[in-house]
Amino acid sequence: MSELNRQDIRKLAKNLMFDLSDDEISDIQSEFEVLMKQLALLEAIDTETIEPMVTPFETPTHFLREDEVDAVIPVEEALLNAPKRDGNYFVIPKVVNDEL
Amino acid sequence: MSFNRSSSIEADIAKAIASMKRDQEALNAVVTWVDPAPQLEDLAKHKDGLMQGVPIVLKDNVSTKGIRTTASSKILDNYVPVYDATIVRKLRDAGAIVVAKSSMDELAMGGTNLTAYTGPVHNPYDIQRMSGGSSGGSAALVASGAVPFAIGSDTGDSVRKPAAFCGVIGVKPTYGRISRYGIIPYSSSLDHVGYFTRTIEDAAIALEVLAGRDEKDMTSSTRPVERYSEGLNQDLHGKKIGILKNVVDANHNEKTKALFDDHVKSLEAAGAEVVPITMNEDLLMAILPTYYLIANCEATANHSNLDGVRFGVREPGKTLEELMVNSRTQGLSSFIRKRFVIGSYGLLDENQERLFRKAQRVRRLIVEDFAKALASVDAIMALASSDIAPKLDDHSLDNLSNTYLIAENFMVLGNFSGYPSVTLPIGLVDGCPIGVNYTAKPFREKELFSLLSGVESLTGCKGMVKEVNA
Repeated sequence: MSELNRQDIRKLAKNLMFDLSDDEISDIQSEFEVLMKQLALLEAIDTETIEPMVTPFETPTHFLREDEVDAVIPVEEALLNAPKRDGNYFVIPKVVNDEL
Repeated sequence: MSFNRSSSIEADIAKAIASMKRDQEALNAVVTWVDPAPQLEDLAKHKDGLMQGVPIVLKDNVSTKGIRTTASSKILDNYVPVYDATIVRKLRDAGAIVVAKSSMDELAMGGTNLTAYTGPVHNPYDIQRMSGGSSGGSAALVASGAVPFAIGSDTGDSVRKPAAFCGVIGVKPTYGRISRYGIIPYSSSLDHVGYFTRTIEDAAIALEVLAGRDEKDMTSSTRPVERYSEGLNQDLHGKKIGILKNVVDANHNEKTKALFDDHVKSLEAAGAEVVPITMNEDLLMAILPTYYLIANCEATANHSNLDGVRFGVREPGKTLEELMVNSRTQGLSSFIRKRFVIGSYGLLDENQERLFRKAQRVRRLIVEDFAKALASVDAIMALASSDIAPKLDDHSLDNLSNTYLIAENFMVLGNFSGYPSVTLPIGLVDGCPIGVNYTAKPFREKELFSLLSGVESLTGCKGMVKEVNA
């Protein structure tokens, strides 16, 4: 099992769109040591011919329905929680040509 | 009368609110108070409801239209849903009155209720001890006698463990039995809506209210809803109960072992056949890492929308990326961000097969072994925890020991399998509750409640309440 160094952890955090302090990275490294030992218990189990289980039951519970409008949230309600809005739009910092 | 109702609904509601307000400083279980007045005005429409006038509490990951829903996370501190979860509509149609939203582990990702943005929830039996989590606020408020019913959610054991620590009944029905529409998710293949009561009869009635197909939740079952509360039969003759021996062997606490032995003897004296069941120990030892991988990987994906852009608390940033990074860094606790790193690691291209898919394969093996164990009995049972609720700062358990990996985490079997699973109190040790967990075959809630009404009659804990001593 490969180890997770500080640079790897920073990269994961960057992809997850948050920062970690130096102490938080150290904590993750410590927790990882325990996790790796626990994962060894999992790796020791032979799953060669076993299919992944993605949900408890395989009985179908989702079906195609008629393409009819249903459960509509009005625009006004959909935007009620927007931290910043302008008309029907969410306002965010300018993404393109921000020097214009 | 079921749900401990008096002849005056208004008096019951006022009493519940007064109790919660009196205990709030000691328990810290309420996140948001809900005004009952408009619901009381609406009550005439639901006069035949099974829960008419019952004061209830909702875990704060249940979406409530127009009422703040934070999931005990700073990033959702200002979030006000624009729709109700399906279970909220069902409960209100049944006449229930929501009086509060309760504290939980942040985003339901914990088992202690120490990680709530608003601080820990304390146990009514000893406020120096934890309530357990993640549905700790709901468990504490049923245990203190404030309300006879509260909603929780259960992804690992988040209803059944706090139920054990707080001395109440904790129900996790079959996966798909209750709609999850409007519940802020954690791990979609493991999440269940669950709830707390103080009697098995109330638990059975509540499932009649909550269960059923919901077109807004494509994982909800199409099976018909049964009359779970009809024909509850306390006679245990002919019932076959399996004791999960691996869990018994992993418990090294003499006091709780003695209480459990007494429970088994009382079952036998009442006519039940009790047989030992042994599962594959290697598979049981792998439950926690399997859970940890699946839950964190799914949570990492589910919570990618918590970014301060469309809802939730936004922190300033010069660019969109900076805004998201600042919002997530300041809005999600250190504990949650660490869990997301683990989840993200398991989902890396090079790790997906080796870790995430491997965990899903082991999950199947565990469930197959569990199904085999259940095949010849009506239910499998074991102590829900080997000890009473830990002190708030107790981290003494070795997290590689079999006590931790099996005795403290075996209830995840109910989430892996989706099978119905209920915890109920069987007595006190050092003044604090001990619970036992029973799990049955899928969609056999009616038979399980009937069995448990017999079990409940032996425990002396039916309707147990603990007045809070601050």
